[in-house]
Amino acid sequence: MNDADTLPKSLAAGQRKYGNRKVAMRQKTLGIWRSYAWQDSYEQVRYLGLGLISLGLERGDKGCIIGDNDPQYFWAQLAIQAGGGVAVGIFTDSAPDEIQYVVHHSDAVFVFAKDQEQCDKLLEIRDQVPAVRCVIYWDDKGLWSYEEPWLRSFEEVQHLGRALDTEQPDLFERSVEQGCGEDLAVFCYTSGTTGLPKGAMISHGNLISGCDLTMQVDPRQDTDEYMSFLPPAWITENVLGLAVHLRTGMVVNFPEAPETVQPNIREVAPQSLLFSARLWENMVALVQVKLIESTWLNRLLYRIFMPVGYKVAGLRFEERKAAGLPLRLLHTLGEYAVFQPLRDKLGLVNVKSAYSSGAALNPDVIRFFRAIGVNIKQLYGSTEAQVHTLHVGDDVRFETVGIPPPGMEIRIADDGEILVKGPTVVRGYYKDPEATESAFIIDQEGQRWYRTGDAGYIDPAGHLIYLDRVKEMLTLSSGEKYSPQYIEGRLKFSPYIRNVMTVGGEDTPFVTALINVDFDNVGRWAERRGLAYTTFVDLSQKPEVYELIREDVQRVNRALPPAARVHKFVLLHKEFDADEGELTRTRKLKRGLLGERYGAMIAAMYGGDDRVAVQAAVKYRDGREGVIQTTVRVATLDDEADGIMEGRTS
Amino acid sequence: MAADRTHLEVQSVSLSFGGIQALADVSFGAREGEILAIIGPNGAGKTSMLNCINNFYHPEKGQILFEGHDLTRLSPDKIAQLGVARTFQNIALYTGLSTLDNLMAARHIHMRAGFLQSLVYWGPAHREDITHRLAVEEIIDFLEIEHVRKAIVGALPYGLRKRVELGRALAMEPRLLLLDEPMTGMNQEEKEDMARFILDVHERHGKTILLIEHDMGLVMDIADRVVVLDFGQKIAEGTPEAIRHDEVVIRAYLGEEMAR
Repeated sequence: MNDADTLPKSLAAGQRKYGNRKVAMRQKTLGIWRSYAWQDSYEQVRYLGLGLISLGLERGDKGCIIGDNDPQYFWAQLAIQAGGGVAVGIFTDSAPDEIQYVVHHSDAVFVFAKDQEQCDKLLEIRDQVPAVRCVIYWDDKGLWSYEEPWLRSFEEVQHLGRALDTEQPDLFERSVEQGCGEDLAVFCYTSGTTGLPKGAMISHGNLISGCDLTMQVDPRQDTDEYMSFLPPAWITENVLGLAVHLRTGMVVNFPEAPETVQPNIREVAPQSLLFSARLWENMVALVQVKLIESTWLNRLLYRIFMPVGYKVAGLRFEERKAAGLPLRLLHTLGEYAVFQPLRDKLGLVNVKSAYSSGAALNPDVIRFFRAIGVNIKQLYGSTEAQVHTLHVGDDVRFETVGIPPPGMEIRIADDGEILVKGPTVVRGYYKDPEATESAFIIDQEGQRWYRTGDAGYIDPAGHLIYLDRVKEMLTLSSGEKYSPQYIEGRLKFSPYIRNVMTVGGEDTPFVTALINVDFDNVGRWAERRGLAYTTFVDLSQKPEVYELIREDVQRVNRALPPAARVHKFVLLHKEFDADEGELTRTRKLKRGLLGERYGAMIAAMYGGDDRVAVQAAVKYRDGREGVIQTTVRVATLDDEADGIMEGRTS
Repeated sequence: MAADRTHLEVQSVSLSFGGIQALADVSFGAREGEILAIIGPNGAGKTSMLNCINNFYHPEKGQILFEGHDLTRLSPDKIAQLGVARTFQNIALYTGLSTLDNLMAARHIHMRAGFLQSLVYWGPAHREDITHRLAVEEIIDFLEIEHVRKAIVGALPYGLRKRVELGRALAMEPRLLLLDEPMTGMNQEEKEDMARFILDVHERHGKTILLIEHDMGLVMDIADRVVVLDFGQKIAEGTPEAIRHDEVVIRAYLGEEMAR
């Protein structure tokens, strides 16, 4: 790493260090991976930057960029920054009025728009953005016959840059030297869930410290490969992609087209990857589907060795023990027969750091990847402060989002909100002092914190547990808060639980839950244990099943502060049913209606009863229907010093 | 581009199957570099017309002149070599081959290396292969089908297969492109994409395009001129605007009752 304090200075340092001797970027074009050396990359930026200067770019000016992940995107960004400007990324799927908002609000004087699609959108809003001097495109397909001087090609601007270069040969270098870490580098517009997007003002110093802090816990080398596919308008791609590339020399690869990301990842086999939880889940589903289509031999090997993978990974990560020699030998065989080939197919063959961000990842998905030798870690961050926390090394816990990297600090405010402090925290929102004031606070010691709007909790091991957005948290009569989403989401990770509704609010002292067991999975579990049952009603009320579910509830409770734990639950005698209006068609809970319909049970849980009589409609195997009288049990969990007392279910 | 030069001249073509007159004395011309659409109700003889141009059907009467050659006297493969390529209503691709192989196969009319040279695959034959692959890759890029480059065509969704078929026609580097209902069976978005590709082909390479299509809205948007067939006869010819208001055309499409 170098001591440059801006991104363009880092680029210049890289060019001096590697010149023509090392690949900086690669893109698959016309079916072939085409590489650009550091020298090429530097010259592209140099002439483009000079071109912008000759078109009138001044220090502090803003330039928007809207386009896919291409080398040209990064070059455009660096060219704007080299001229002292601020790059403002716009998502490619933005509608013209959204583009108009960002271009206008950021006071942009230039816009880079990749192709015909984006140029057309800009032409549509041209009258509303009079400050934009020109739009610069880098893919001319379909634009051949546009006779529109407002649009200019990348090459045309670089040509202007070359002309300026012959007049003032050291202008570019001087302009780069003038920059400093305090200068603003990018604006990232966050799609606010409420109101208009806000432009977070991110300085070069923010980006460089964000990169360097992460590199301390998860170092990258200049031999590493990276695939750029996250939207470049997003902060993550700016830090973990561009900044890391410039600081460590890591090679950045660009996909041939947005649709070819997956095969291109396989060809590149990157060392680090960040996917959303959904994408990791899709990968597991893909493996299952492909396996069914595969040969009997592959299926046999998978059946033999996957349990070995699960066993070894379970010992290593969950029990923190080493596997015995026979198991290790089997595992080595499995590595050659199944794990390595699978990782290869998924493009994970070289991966050292696999991250998941966004929603919580199902532990089963994490276990699957661990079994084939990929340790997925959670990463939690924001546009305003970049990486807040992440899992480091083998210290990965399902229920947490990890620990802050060195230099970052996390604090939980009195109302449960997660606060973040560190060199990555941005200066504020562009032209929005009100939003800035409410999102950033200064404490008594004069320290500046970013209010994430997220609620969380730090566990005894120092890991952060992310619960939910603060405004989604509910308050109990004791004043304590809890997160319905967190509890329900985590409980549903259990294969035995189909659905859950938590109950608890300002007139109740603790949290309770109505649980639907998963009839198929619990039924299979019962059969394996030789437990006889007849109907859903019967199965759901077995004391053994209550014990089974109790363990799941306890596991979730353990990650929560005592006041936010589930104290009582019932296993319902029937499933929540969309046909009865209990769920929406997208299978979301209709809380109000459920609260009324199961009011007797809820009352029993808070009233201290341990049984409730219900009438239940049942459907017999021969198709007859009837109504039976039954009782539903109430299970109570007592958490004395994290210990669990014998329940009162029988 | 010599816009006024007639590129394809159809002169009094007649074709019948037994007692059915498929085409009766049809004449029209396509100027170089224009998009000419042939429209008409079902069974009007549109596809028969294209088949005559390819000489899949042999007209009983009349001439079809393309750059001075009478196509009715040439075999379909000779016509292809002259620079006439087409796509089919029901898609005719090698379903067991990949997109790439389908497009490479279309390059055969431009391949010069002999059997023995190709067997050695060194020197000229190798260089030639690279040239053709480059031409094909440019088409793949142009039509945005990179993600299905290696996919077996038979397994692709319908809209994509249509795109691959257009790609194969383009790989022949024709000067006249015949498109038989390139947008049938597509959803609105796919149709718009296809229309954009057709316009781009036209604009980029100045090819003459003869297009049969059912979707009137799209035809009117992209065609320079329109020829209307009904029961094997040409009932109108003109700009989309003129055709839209043509009494005879409206009657043919909507029936006597509606037109009144």
